[in-house]
Amino acid sequence: MTATRRRPRHVLGYVLVAVLVFFYVFPLLFLLNTALKSNGQFSTDPVGVVTDPQFGNFVQAWVRGNFGQYILNSVLYTLAAGGIGTFISIVLGFPVARGYIRGARWWNIVFVLVLFLPNALITQFQLLLHLNLYGTQLGYILIMGAGVGVGPLLMSGFITSLPRELDEAATLDGIGYGRFLWSFVLPLARPAIVTVFILQAIWVWNEIILATVLLPDQSESPLTLGLYAFEGTYTNQWGLLAAATLIVATPLIVAYVFLQKYIVNGIAGGLKG
Amino acid sequence: MTTTGSFPFARKGTMRLTFGAGIAILAVFGLVPAVAVLVISFTDITGLPGIPIDWIGLRNYLEFFSAAHLGDNLNALRNTVVFAGVSTVVQVVGGLLIAVLLNQRLRGRTLYRAIVFMPTVLGVTVIGLIWSLIFNPSGGPGASVLALFGTHSAFFGDPNLALGLVIFVQIWAGLGISVVIFLAGLQAIPDELYEAAALDGASGWQRLRLVTVPVLAPSITTNVLLGIVNAMQSYQLAYVLTGSANRATQLLSTLIYVQGFGGTGGGVAESQGYAASISIVQFVLVGVVSLIALRILRRREARL
Repeated sequence: MTATRRRPRHVLGYVLVAVLVFFYVFPLLFLLNTALKSNGQFSTDPVGVVTDPQFGNFVQAWVRGNFGQYILNSVLYTLAAGGIGTFISIVLGFPVARGYIRGARWWNIVFVLVLFLPNALITQFQLLLHLNLYGTQLGYILIMGAGVGVGPLLMSGFITSLPRELDEAATLDGIGYGRFLWSFVLPLARPAIVTVFILQAIWVWNEIILATVLLPDQSESPLTLGLYAFEGTYTNQWGLLAAATLIVATPLIVAYVFLQKYIVNGIAGGLKG
Repeated sequence: MTTTGSFPFARKGTMRLTFGAGIAILAVFGLVPAVAVLVISFTDITGLPGIPIDWIGLRNYLEFFSAAHLGDNLNALRNTVVFAGVSTVVQVVGGLLIAVLLNQRLRGRTLYRAIVFMPTVLGVTVIGLIWSLIFNPSGGPGASVLALFGTHSAFFGDPNLALGLVIFVQIWAGLGISVVIFLAGLQAIPDELYEAAALDGASGWQRLRLVTVPVLAPSITTNVLLGIVNAMQSYQLAYVLTGSANRATQLLSTLIYVQGFGGTGGGVAESQGYAASISIVQFVLVGVVSLIALRILRRREARL
């Protein structure tokens, strides 16, 4: 492999990457372009580059869309449900991986089965109805928190890679089970914990149908639902719609830029198979 | 990988408490509702509380396959299979090729990887709006491209095109995860393997087929299963892009929603027992397809 033979392949590589990046970045740029257009501008020239940017679209979308409330709701749901799911994954995954619980083998099978459960939309609705949790944020959080997916499986898999001598050494120092989980397992299993949390957080952040069914009150809507309702109200006012979409997308993109290392590496590490 | 060992800690109380709490939440809000789907699929339960519920045996299932519903249901079934099949295959093949591309020593490749993965973070509603904007029939980039060829389209409004476009957006949004999983697998392949193959005079294609694909077999299995399970159960994009009651993009999962909750909003008294039976049909379908796929892939893995 000489340098001269490498170069042409890399040129081709960069061309292909450029196509790929265009494919993912163009839609966002077009969104921004549209967000800056007035209705009139959009209807006369929907595709052209904006000439007279209308920053007022953002103000209007923010005021009319009530997005502050929706963002707060979504953040609450994501943190709470992601937290509950991660807690479940840790307290189940650790003792099962160590064989401290009877029938550990069976629990591992349960962890796999959790992935293939039938769509329980109907029964989860009925459950909350009968528990008087229908239409409450708590009910929605508990349902979303129980959607642990691969969490317990990832945790128990990761825990098996931690040396068992650690547990024994800790007991010699008189450390109890609870403190061991908190001050040893938590920091040592951080990569796995971050992955578990992020996977569930992404799912909760994106969820829309359970929210439609379980949260009839609009003041409790997550961002997905809020934006969807906004789209229904302002159909064809594309400038306003695009501005609203950007309001929703910008914090995500900013957070992603900072957390991308954890998110992408976490998923890569967790799902390698 | 489970080894049973003696319990080293002084008392079991905390473990029992935390394990019990975890199982309790999981069981009450996850496992029990999932099992209950099967139970209520044999009843005529509705969305209204206080109405007596009767056991009706297999009637919901017979109704699912009855002449009155068969057309709609087969349509949803077919859409689900096409949606899951095409999006899984393209995501796995495309994801693999893009991962191989990004595994080259290119400048800024972590940035490209991050860009491809971005839709996962943006979320379905944002993605849905972006692509409705691009495929806006009354004038958008999609319409402009078609105008170059002197034609036009209703895009998501065209029953022949809608499912294809939803699949396209699903692939756009889902490629990132599969790329990331493949890249993680690729980075575990030692360079010597490629150098040896190059010394033997293997072409780029041969190296891909004879070195990369076999070594990546476990990642391929993960991606295929993840793709099938996700696609069979996903409804979010179809719902956001075309609504829940659109025949052209009706999936089993959106059908459950329409039957159980009216879909168009406001409907309450829908037949939830019947909707539950659709859940079970979907569950069996996902299970059977996943098991077949797993068998084939595992056998291939063993042969390689």
